[in-house]
Amino acid sequence: MRRWRGPFIALLILALALPVWAQEKPRSGGELVFVVPSEPPSYDAHQEETFGVIHPVAPHYSTLLRVDPLDKTGTKPVGDLAESWTVSKDGLVYTFKLHKGVKFHDGSEMTSKDVKASYDKILSPPAGVKSLRASAYAAVKEIEAPDAHTVRFTLKWPESSLLLNLASPWNWIYKADILAKDPQWYMKNVMGTGPFKFVEHVRGSHWVGKKNPDYWDKGKPYLDGYRAIFISNSAAQVAAVRGERAMIQFRSFSPPERDSLVQALGPKITVQESPWDCLNFVSMHHQKKPFDDKRVRRALSLALDRYEGSKALSRITLVKDVAGIIVPGTPYATPPQELEKLAGYGRDINANRAEAKRLLREAGVPEGFAFTFKNRGIPHPYEPLGIWLIDQWRQIGLNVKQEILEASAYHPMLMRGDFEVAMDFQCGFIVEPDLDLGRFLSISDANYGKHKDTVIDDLYVRQARATDMEERKRILRTLEKRLLDDEAHVVYTLQWHRIIPHNSRVKGWTITPSHYLNNQLDTVWLTE
Amino acid sequence: MHTYLLKRLLLIFPTLFGVAVVTFLLIRIIPGDVVELRYSGDRGAVSQQLLDQERARIGLDKPVWRQFATWIWGVARLDFGQSMWTGAPIWQEIKLRFALSLQVAVMATIVAVLLAIPLGVLAALKQDTWIDYAVRVFSIAGLAMPSFWLGIVLILMLLIVFQWLPPMVYTPFWVSPWQNLAQLIWPALAVGYRYSAVATRMTRSAMLEVLREDYIRTARAKGLMQKLVLSRHALKNAMLPVLTVVAIEFAFLIGGLVVTEQVFNLNGIGLLFVQAVAHRDYTLLQALVMLVAGAFILVNFLMDVAYAWLDPRIRYR
Repeated sequence: MRRWRGPFIALLILALALPVWAQEKPRSGGELVFVVPSEPPSYDAHQEETFGVIHPVAPHYSTLLRVDPLDKTGTKPVGDLAESWTVSKDGLVYTFKLHKGVKFHDGSEMTSKDVKASYDKILSPPAGVKSLRASAYAAVKEIEAPDAHTVRFTLKWPESSLLLNLASPWNWIYKADILAKDPQWYMKNVMGTGPFKFVEHVRGSHWVGKKNPDYWDKGKPYLDGYRAIFISNSAAQVAAVRGERAMIQFRSFSPPERDSLVQALGPKITVQESPWDCLNFVSMHHQKKPFDDKRVRRALSLALDRYEGSKALSRITLVKDVAGIIVPGTPYATPPQELEKLAGYGRDINANRAEAKRLLREAGVPEGFAFTFKNRGIPHPYEPLGIWLIDQWRQIGLNVKQEILEASAYHPMLMRGDFEVAMDFQCGFIVEPDLDLGRFLSISDANYGKHKDTVIDDLYVRQARATDMEERKRILRTLEKRLLDDEAHVVYTLQWHRIIPHNSRVKGWTITPSHYLNNQLDTVWLTE
Repeated sequence: MHTYLLKRLLLIFPTLFGVAVVTFLLIRIIPGDVVELRYSGDRGAVSQQLLDQERARIGLDKPVWRQFATWIWGVARLDFGQSMWTGAPIWQEIKLRFALSLQVAVMATIVAVLLAIPLGVLAALKQDTWIDYAVRVFSIAGLAMPSFWLGIVLILMLLIVFQWLPPMVYTPFWVSPWQNLAQLIWPALAVGYRYSAVATRMTRSAMLEVLREDYIRTARAKGLMQKLVLSRHALKNAMLPVLTVVAIEFAFLIGGLVVTEQVFNLNGIGLLFVQAVAHRDYTLLQALVMLVAGAFILVNFLMDVAYAWLDPRIRYR
């Protein structure tokens, strides 16, 4: 009897595990229907800035590298068209080997010539063609295609962010011959090497893609096709998911919307959540008194009870984590115990506010000092955050009036510098310090507070060129302390929190901190 | 009659020109422009150089008078240009949406007329009885409830009671009548009810006025059947003000269902209006205002023709 016990237990484990395994095995077929809250103005991702392009159009394209679709931190580059790559010892030469037999949707073969032509367009676009992210590739000296399946990037200096920049979800690979004839062709046409072929776009209504049977990654995609429905109204988006007219919306829903879906659909809905690489921070105009004084700026940060704020606000809007300059849970994020050492991040709020009042007195700011806080008229999370900030600042004796600006008037106001204190924002497409922190450089067009700080400029360059991860972390900590504490150039609020409640039939999709990532849909499948 | 119609026709051109000037200037007063909105994006970081380059590309760097001259010359040749947001020709942007809005407007008008005329006549005939009170409560409720709110209630009812939601994507009637009606009947009911409320009250008051006229009393004294008195003498004369209300509401529905279209996610002219304003898409917005103004002018012209047909005193004047 005893000799059968081992095999019996093994069989029992297998039998118990079998349903789970069978359930999780990707199944082919079906059409994924998803909601997109915005619509693509044009189809050329190199020239666009909105996720409204990425969500419906990305499944038609491949990129050289991509961010691992299964990595929740959204920071791990893996090959897409690149099969493998090597980096020279001095960190200046990156050589990529491409998959063979990759075909464009018109049947022609994709080669290194196409990768080079696409990157040439991104790095140095022809006259009349825009490239919104060219500055991220300032380190690239030269791109070569020595043979049909090899691409070589030579850099002017080592750059730790290069691989993630080459995994950018915006850098779709286009066909070289088409670009040579008309570099604007991709503004109005779709033709890539991605897992889905283009079927139709009905403006204001929907976008349809069908499975590419010649996709290079054999066995994928699992879906027969997808349909993206454009719905701008958030109540209608929730109704679409609740009424099972759509299965998922890839940007985010708010906590009350999540709760209503969970309550209505129960086990039919699965919720994925993640810290989001978007953040609202307060910009203070450094050329306007008293905000030219760092003691006043620090006081504004010290007044905030971020931990209690997180508890209350995360129930009603899209914010949650108390964070520094890097998204929590990602490789360069500051550990909580270290974060607590920064001004305004300590747990003792009474001590923080006493210090804030002392600093204001020292700077000659009287009790009841009044200023206007300019905010953007968007419900989530701008408006609740604005109300919270005003309440917190009142507790250190400041009298703050909020002025809400309509979305189209808000950005020109920031650019003109027509504010004393304003809500500012940042949203990254990959969690990468080079991409997220560039706006704090003295020369940046997005440095709306107009601070001039050569120390930060220098630290930024040093972290960008640091090839050792630990060294880069140390530099980033120093930069963070200077930006948020010593000089308090800006006041960070709370990290945005991404919430994706989706139909439980949707499998093979993993949330990341960026709503620009993981939209190729090649790994997504539907249960019966 | 011909001079009357010709005068009405000639009035169309100065009216449209006035609309064009006012629209062109008003939308340029609103802060922000299409370039800033398109490229400020989520990151909020864009160079001034890029913004200037884009403004020059779409002609926003030119003096306002020159922009107006270029645009109005295009309009005179029925060329409304391209959308500043998408770069697509304006007619393409409007074509699909117009079909949907027109269908909703027609369906809502049918709902409204089918409700308003019988109810209005009935209320007038049974003045101050419980039937009259019931019709008045029904019509006042229609006026008090915004159609978008009624739309939300309809959607929630369908979701909660029937676990069903109307289709989210428009299918033309000739492709699938069932799909088409399954999507559009709900907004048509929501809008048609409010629309019927206005028309019911107008029908009732017009009928009450007409029923007291001498010629109705004469017709009855001559022994004409009540049915004939109503259909031949009373209703035709009472229809003049009702026709005005129905026609103006119809023209309004072409571009005025801004919120209702959002609630039902209808890809119509109303939603396009919202997007054009939100994107500061000047060319598209100008074309839409001209379209709606054109619809109002056309409906008014047809109403004038109908008035002349219904009331001979107008055409002989």
